[in-house]
Amino acid sequence: MLNKPLTQFLLACALALILPLALKSGVLASEILVYGLAAAACNLLLSYTGLLSFGQGVFFGVGSYLAALLLTRAGVGAPLSLIACALVGAALATFVGAISIRRQGVYFVMLTLAFAQFFYFLAYTFQDVTGGDNGILDVPRPIIAGRALASPWSYYVFVAVVFLVLFAALLQATRSMFGRTLLAIRENEERAAAIGYPVKAFKIAAFALSGAVTGVAGGLDAMLIGGAPLSNIEYHSSETILIMTVIGGGNLIASLLGAGAYLILGDLLSDVWPRWLLLFGLFLIVVALFFQGGLWGLVELAARRSERADEAEA
Amino acid sequence: MVYLFQILNGLGLGVIYFLLAVGLSVIFGLLRFVNFAHGAFYMVGAYLTYEATRDGASFWLALPLAALGVAALAGLVEALLLRRVYKLDHAYHILVTVGVALVIQELTIIIWGPIGASVAPPSSLSGVLILGQFIYPQYRLFVIGFTAILALLLWWLLEGTRLGALVRAGSESAETMALLGFDTPRINTAVFALGAGLAGLAGALAAPIRGVEPFMAVEAVGVAFAVVVIGGMGSYLGALAASLLVGVIQGVMATLWPQGASLMIYLTMAALIAVRPRGLFGRA
Amino acid sequence: MLNRRSFLSQSALVGASLGWPGLVAAAPATVIGVPVPVSGAFAANGKFAVMGAALAAEEASAALGQPFKTLDLDTEGKPATGIRKIQDAVSQSGAKLFAGGVLSSEALAMGKEATKDGAVFFTTAGADEITGKDCNKGTFRWSVSTYGAIEQTVRPLLARLPKAKRWYTITPQYVFGEGLLSAAKNVFKDKGVEHVGNSYHSLSETEFSGYITNAIAANPDVLLLLNFGSQSSAALRQAISFGLKSRMTIVVAWASGLEQFQALGADLCDGVYFGAQYWHTVDAPGNLALVKAVKAKYNMAPNYSLAGSYIMTKLLAEAAAKAKTSDGPAVAKALEGLRYQGLTGEEEIRAADHQVIKDYYLLKGKAKSAMGDANDFADIVSRGKSFLSPEAAGCKMG
Repeated sequence: MLNKPLTQFLLACALALILPLALKSGVLASEILVYGLAAAACNLLLSYTGLLSFGQGVFFGVGSYLAALLLTRAGVGAPLSLIACALVGAALATFVGAISIRRQGVYFVMLTLAFAQFFYFLAYTFQDVTGGDNGILDVPRPIIAGRALASPWSYYVFVAVVFLVLFAALLQATRSMFGRTLLAIRENEERAAAIGYPVKAFKIAAFALSGAVTGVAGGLDAMLIGGAPLSNIEYHSSETILIMTVIGGGNLIASLLGAGAYLILGDLLSDVWPRWLLLFGLFLIVVALFFQGGLWGLVELAARRSERADEAEA
Repeated sequence: MVYLFQILNGLGLGVIYFLLAVGLSVIFGLLRFVNFAHGAFYMVGAYLTYEATRDGASFWLALPLAALGVAALAGLVEALLLRRVYKLDHAYHILVTVGVALVIQELTIIIWGPIGASVAPPSSLSGVLILGQFIYPQYRLFVIGFTAILALLLWWLLEGTRLGALVRAGSESAETMALLGFDTPRINTAVFALGAGLAGLAGALAAPIRGVEPFMAVEAVGVAFAVVVIGGMGSYLGALAASLLVGVIQGVMATLWPQGASLMIYLTMAALIAVRPRGLFGRA
Repeated sequence: MLNRRSFLSQSALVGASLGWPGLVAAAPATVIGVPVPVSGAFAANGKFAVMGAALAAEEASAALGQPFKTLDLDTEGKPATGIRKIQDAVSQSGAKLFAGGVLSSEALAMGKEATKDGAVFFTTAGADEITGKDCNKGTFRWSVSTYGAIEQTVRPLLARLPKAKRWYTITPQYVFGEGLLSAAKNVFKDKGVEHVGNSYHSLSETEFSGYITNAIAANPDVLLLLNFGSQSSAALRQAISFGLKSRMTIVVAWASGLEQFQALGADLCDGVYFGAQYWHTVDAPGNLALVKAVKAKYNMAPNYSLAGSYIMTKLLAEAAAKAKTSDGPAVAKALEGLRYQGLTGEEEIRAADHQVIKDYYLLKGKAKSAMGDANDFADIVSRGKSFLSPEAAGCKMG
């Protein structure tokens, strides 16, 4: 019931409405949606296709570079820039995916990790394009109806709209024929191939969709922070997106929870103790050992408990 | 002429990469376990050496102490935490080992502070060897020789002993091993401790060369994974060949196109994968 | 839900409240944000920066008769996080004054953000663009530029070592390294020195034996290291292990100060030249007072991270007191053109590009046996001010 696409979408809408009430920082709220989108795209590969990609930071980083370049140097508007992010993200992901899916399991993970490192050094080496260590600065916020979305919350609205549209697209993909095939591949790849599904093509298509959405997330991030830093394409960026996805759990809305938990926890802890990463590390260990369904698993557990309690009362 | 020096240089670098990566590769091979905490064990090895030599112990004592200390720590971490996630998806391997790496890194800062420190090489090896134009630190020569002997020992351990046979059998089929009545969990712990201990030893040997600092783990992980992928996961020979290759690439690139050195390593990795996904010596 | 911890300077409050309890309680403290990497690879800088800022706020509260408090903001060394923390500090804590930024990338980004938010940002970061082509109304820089760093290390060294005619450089390939390198090339040309070679390396490099081999092959009189932080430490360590100390003079143009000497240890530093923004034995009234205060509060000698953060926080507090507001443009106005007795003697904030005009130091490491105390790693060989004009630095204040 909770896992139904429509429920997930309604939950996403609810969360997008609740964030402004729950958080004081519009930047943090926007960041949660941006990374929530990237994590959901990562989860399309992880939970729906069975592909653990350590290379999502590549698409995120390239998205932020591309948006930054188009906005600052080419004078292209925000909507067109984001579309370009999607297209380039998809193309790049097709390339990375096509090579990476030649291997499975650990090997696949390592290949995507190799790509993450490769593209990082590529971005670092070609400083004329990427600004090297300084990154690209002075990226403007989008202008809607002649007004720049300068304040954090006005930009949040823009992010929320893009987020919901793409989130809906991802949900639609998972409930379509395409999505059900991906699940079949995840469950039993050999059987899916035997039935006659073009397994490879489906995997690459999943990559392309994931890369497109992640590219847009990267573009949104560039406009949010007003720049495209080198750190967006670092291997840490891939690691962050993956960890958000895993601590979230097994469906798309869970990824938003994962991103939110990751960012809010980091924000809270970093104000408490300079060595807060120690606590954060312990949090990751605890999730890995005891909450393997991720945070979504806890939500489901709570839902089941309350159902049972209702039944008992009845 | 300078290229010849750079190749020698690269070999010196490669042997440390070998110690760092071979443990990771063995852990991969036997446990199919993605270990992002491997760099942290390298760092702990370096810091233990720093601590021991600072407290007056000789470097020669510090070296085995660091390796054993790290092996013990890793064995404990494996038995308490990691073995619980072996059967799970790789995502959980990453989650738990990233967590362990963070905890170790922050504990290091709490214990030893955020500023790094230098470790002096043993005084008997602090000089340089001069052969015509060629200059090379004696300590680095020692590291090459020491690692060569260790590599042979390790070869014997993995290919010639019962433990090695068990490890290889275990990489093929863990279930058969369990059916045959072997205590796989204990073998797993032993192998994990061995792999991490080698990383600790790599850290101990690297400490006089590069000093110690709390963030040396992160950079080590990147190189180690590159070596393992290029060499082929679980392959001893692959780790050896790939680490020397990566070292030599880095050495030669230092003269050829330095800023692209890292790019070239990962390009090699990507190119190799495209034509030979299992790596140089990996089993399919 | 986001309760930010504020570093109230306890003793200052206690001291002040003893005198004017009612008055102090009534005036809300002016917040000075300290956005520095407290976690991540530059945690050491952040740790000491936070301490320096806290001390400055405490002193300013007592001296200026109005309370100041610092707000620690962990940037994690990431521009994105830094920008978020600045935006949040402005909108939630009403902070308009910021002293921080260790890495070039985060400082550039945060300076622009602070200015956009009507705040002032003061930094010690290395990027020349901060007071060069990316200069802006709200951003100030205390650290000497790469141009000045080279002028004040290479020139005095050439005066001391007239026979040193062949120089080799090792340079990290990004804007900061290029800045140092081009400044060094200018001096070489001017002085008729032969630049026998340069090795570029990447920002993530930790292994320098290849570059050192290149340097040996070029047979220079002086090896000039143009990288900074742990990279310059690693390069220096490895150069010394290759026996270079006895074959040539080694210079680290941009040392990070006492922190770096502690990490390297006296044996490695002995006989090596270091360029430095600050050194704790500088004989200036402002510095003597700081050394005393840091000894009393933290029982240590002030290092560069601590001292830089201290003076920036102090300047911001004084400017806010003078302007009677912490509003960005007004504080910036109060800072512009200011002359004061600083940690390096007389310092001046140049109005045209917001660059602080101050001394840069050339230090020479001394032997362990010659050290007067645990922190007496080096002697000051020379000091002086060298700055490009704002126009030459490329600053067009918009």
